[in-house]
Amino acid sequence: MKMRWVIVFLPVVTVIAISIAVHEHANRVAAAEPTTPIASLAQAAAPAAAPSNGGPLSIPDTTLAINSSTPMSQRVVHYEIDAHYDAAKHIVNATEVLTYHNLTGQALDHFPFHLYQNAFQPNSTWVREAKVIGSRDTAYEKWESKEYGSEEITNLEVVGQGDLTSQLQYIQPDDGNKDDKTVIDLRLAKPIAAGDYVQFKIAFQTNFPETQARSGWKRDFVLGGQWFPKVGVWWRGAWNCHQYHALTEFFADFGVYDVKLTVPQFEVVGASGVKVSETSNSDSTKTLVYHGDDIHDFAWTASPRFRVKDDGVYQGQMGPVNMRILMQPAHWGQVERHEKILRESLEQFESRYGPYPYKTITLVDPGSAAAGGMEYPTFITGDTNWFMPGGLHLPELVVEHEFGHQYWYGMVATNEFEDAWMDEGINSYSEVKVLDSILGKRTSILNMAGTTIGERELQRGTYADVADLDPIAQKAYDYYSNSSYGGITYGKTASVLLTLEGIIGEDTMDRAMRAYFMKYRFTHPTKEDFLKTIEEVSGKNLRWYFDQAVYGSPVMDYKVLKIESFPVNWYEDTKGAKKDDKNTVYRSFVWLQRKGAFVMPVEVEIKFDNGEAIREHWDGASRWTKFVYEKKAKVASAELDPDHKIQIDRNDFNNSYIADSNGKAAQKINNYWMFMTQWLAQALAWWAV
Amino acid sequence: MNENAGLLSNGWRRMAHNKRYIVWFYLLNLALAGLGAAAFSNQAHDFLDHSLLSDRLLHGFDVGVLIETFSQPDFGPTHAARVSGLHFALIFFAAFALFLPGVLQGYASTYRLPREEFFRACGRNLWRFIRLMIVAGIVMGIAAGLLFALRAALLTKADESTNELLPVYVSLGSLLVIFLVMTTFRVWFDLAQTDVVLSDQRAVRRSIGAGFRHTWRNLGRLVGSYIVTTIVAAIVLVTGILIWLKFVPPASVFGAIVVSQLTLLLLLIPRFWQRGVAVSYYLQNMVQPVAVQSFAPAPVIAPSVIAPAAVEPAAPPIIPIPPPEPQQS
Repeated sequence: MKMRWVIVFLPVVTVIAISIAVHEHANRVAAAEPTTPIASLAQAAAPAAAPSNGGPLSIPDTTLAINSSTPMSQRVVHYEIDAHYDAAKHIVNATEVLTYHNLTGQALDHFPFHLYQNAFQPNSTWVREAKVIGSRDTAYEKWESKEYGSEEITNLEVVGQGDLTSQLQYIQPDDGNKDDKTVIDLRLAKPIAAGDYVQFKIAFQTNFPETQARSGWKRDFVLGGQWFPKVGVWWRGAWNCHQYHALTEFFADFGVYDVKLTVPQFEVVGASGVKVSETSNSDSTKTLVYHGDDIHDFAWTASPRFRVKDDGVYQGQMGPVNMRILMQPAHWGQVERHEKILRESLEQFESRYGPYPYKTITLVDPGSAAAGGMEYPTFITGDTNWFMPGGLHLPELVVEHEFGHQYWYGMVATNEFEDAWMDEGINSYSEVKVLDSILGKRTSILNMAGTTIGERELQRGTYADVADLDPIAQKAYDYYSNSSYGGITYGKTASVLLTLEGIIGEDTMDRAMRAYFMKYRFTHPTKEDFLKTIEEVSGKNLRWYFDQAVYGSPVMDYKVLKIESFPVNWYEDTKGAKKDDKNTVYRSFVWLQRKGAFVMPVEVEIKFDNGEAIREHWDGASRWTKFVYEKKAKVASAELDPDHKIQIDRNDFNNSYIADSNGKAAQKINNYWMFMTQWLAQALAWWAV
Repeated sequence: MNENAGLLSNGWRRMAHNKRYIVWFYLLNLALAGLGAAAFSNQAHDFLDHSLLSDRLLHGFDVGVLIETFSQPDFGPTHAARVSGLHFALIFFAAFALFLPGVLQGYASTYRLPREEFFRACGRNLWRFIRLMIVAGIVMGIAAGLLFALRAALLTKADESTNELLPVYVSLGSLLVIFLVMTTFRVWFDLAQTDVVLSDQRAVRRSIGAGFRHTWRNLGRLVGSYIVTTIVAAIVLVTGILIWLKFVPPASVFGAIVVSQLTLLLLLIPRFWQRGVAVSYYLQNMVQPVAVQSFAPAPVIAPSVIAPAAVEPAAPPIIPIPPPEPQQS
């Protein structure tokens, strides 16, 4: 065939081929999926809604899913969920029996519940915020109704108080947006006394969105995250149940989860906790039962295409941990790579902070489903691509980061609405330490053909741009922008804690982090719990630092303003007297400046051209200072923070000054710039003339 | 294939006999880029020359430090530096368009084209080239717009597939198709430009028509030649970058400049080679036969039939008459 016809018909044939392939697959899935009517689900839910043992209510003290003979958390909730997933419609119809133990010390007359999936509606607070500050999921202008999400309680009964569905009321505690339905409040007929239990029997339906906030469906993949009504947390004397915001994550109580998932027979499923049983049903479905101990959330995923590697076992400090990895077929070649970094992360975290007590960790590769890089208890998602050179460590970065959340979120369960830095930021700090150890300090992100990037530079880089916008200690939904949230919550926190290492010493910081984890695992610590632990372990009053670095937003930028040397007997030189360099006495000046508002004592190293080096200390209290020397040598250079302990200085380039300029670095990057400019010009001329 | 090889080798010879044009354009680009990068260069020197940290940019290629450099408010590829670079790239583009007619004239010439003739060709064809570029811009712009829209639609469709690699294949495949189509358009307008210059064609539409007809009739041959030269360009670029990465020590600024500039110089060759191909094709296939009047006196003796082959033109045309064009379907 002549090439002209190839060129003409190739696009047409491709379009037709893709359309046929996609439609055939869609038909196959639709034909294979039995749709469970809501009415039949309601019948199925009926037995579950009744008290299971007829005896007094309690939270189980099971340890099936942990390597411990006794519970590790103060268990507040027990969720028993029986869910049926309609893969064709991306809908879950379920019943939920929630047993709640009132450990608040006071009677409770109302209970707020999160209905997270209602965030994915056009007028929700989540979408309103995402449209303004940006979202990585969707261009909302092209958002279609079939991509929305929703979560509705169809029936709610409180044992002993009857059907209270009519008492449910949507509330908007954060912004008063009446269209936001992400929190619903239930007022009880009778309060629950302190120490008592209450059981809620809920029937609900969740329509998953096309992936939003790394939850929902894409093609035949689904990630069930934040998919069931979750009760708020009684914290610091009040209910803490925020609306779902574009920049916030979650907060929940520890407890026990027993979840029955009924899915089409062909689905490959992964979930939090341990799998208890799997049975085939007569209607081409199967039911999988999962159990989780001492966790505060339950997530699951299903896709017919997952390839599974589940023979990896890590011998943890408390017992064996089964590593289950669900990969996209196209990424199967990277499964060993994923298992390796997962195992190394487990080793690092156990040795640095404390034991991983769970019996499983499930790692999911969602492929291009926009659900990569997410954490749930004992369940994380990675993020990779078909082309991933060995020197590009992005999969390692994501897996390590999400695994780190098993510690900073999973076990140390901080309030992600109000203190996002305590999970994301502390985790980013851990990420620097762990990846430095595994992949090298300057090569932990990229190490290809002489090109390198280290994790700590990356964290600094995200922070430098937004350094003066927000403080760390701030509610996640109050940040100026998406990049400010990312740069401050992740990047600044990591840099602040790395700088803290320089102040109290790396060993002390390591001990403080371990002490914090061991003391506060399976609890909901506050920011002061964390900061005081560091002060206690280090034995130092660090308020001057925390007030600026954590609670405030002053920017640190120290600078070597100028260095100068001239002969003391300068006038002899002007009279034409003979120079004698070795015996000439020079008066040298070194000026330092504190450009930013952040005050911190710093060291400066001054080197002279005879090889002598002097270290000076400056408290940084004034805006500038000056050091003067008279020596038979000229000052050659001055460097602030010569040991590179300070990571939060916004501009490290002006931290040093050398008397003899060296233009080679500038020439080098200017050559890159020239090359790009010339290449652009040639490409333009190639195609356009 | 042989025809292709003939076209390519013929084009290469024309390009090789006129290497000076490549050097001129390279030097022009270098000078303009130097001016365009002046602001960036000054910023870089002010920022880096007295800092100890700049050493990490010199010894190795620490992208983290580079990102930090560019993220500083008082440095980086600022708007001013970017716009400046873009403006000078546009000037090069304009200069390329201005001087190209002289290059085509030089390629067609059997002797070294004097400077006056070179610039005369440039001046004579300036307005024609502007019109040609406008038409080419419209046609190629519409085509590219449609193709990229089609590609986006394909990718959206492919994204619905459960085959994780399908979007990758569609993405790469569609780029290849777009490349082929745009190369075809490039061939078309290269022939039109050649025709405008060498036929001294004032009616640009006729050259566009001729270019289209010949491109369509000899698509495989012409596009094949252009693809070969583009592959050569890609090899040059990749090889240059590999040599830069593998063999030039990170701290060797001089080595980096030499390799990068040599790569850019060599990258110009394939495009001029394509121009040589277009001129060769024109001379072989597109030159209109010149009608020649015979001034032979009327025969005195009894008339006899004179074979046409025996008829000689009174003077050779500037451009040799090609053999008759073969009939093509």
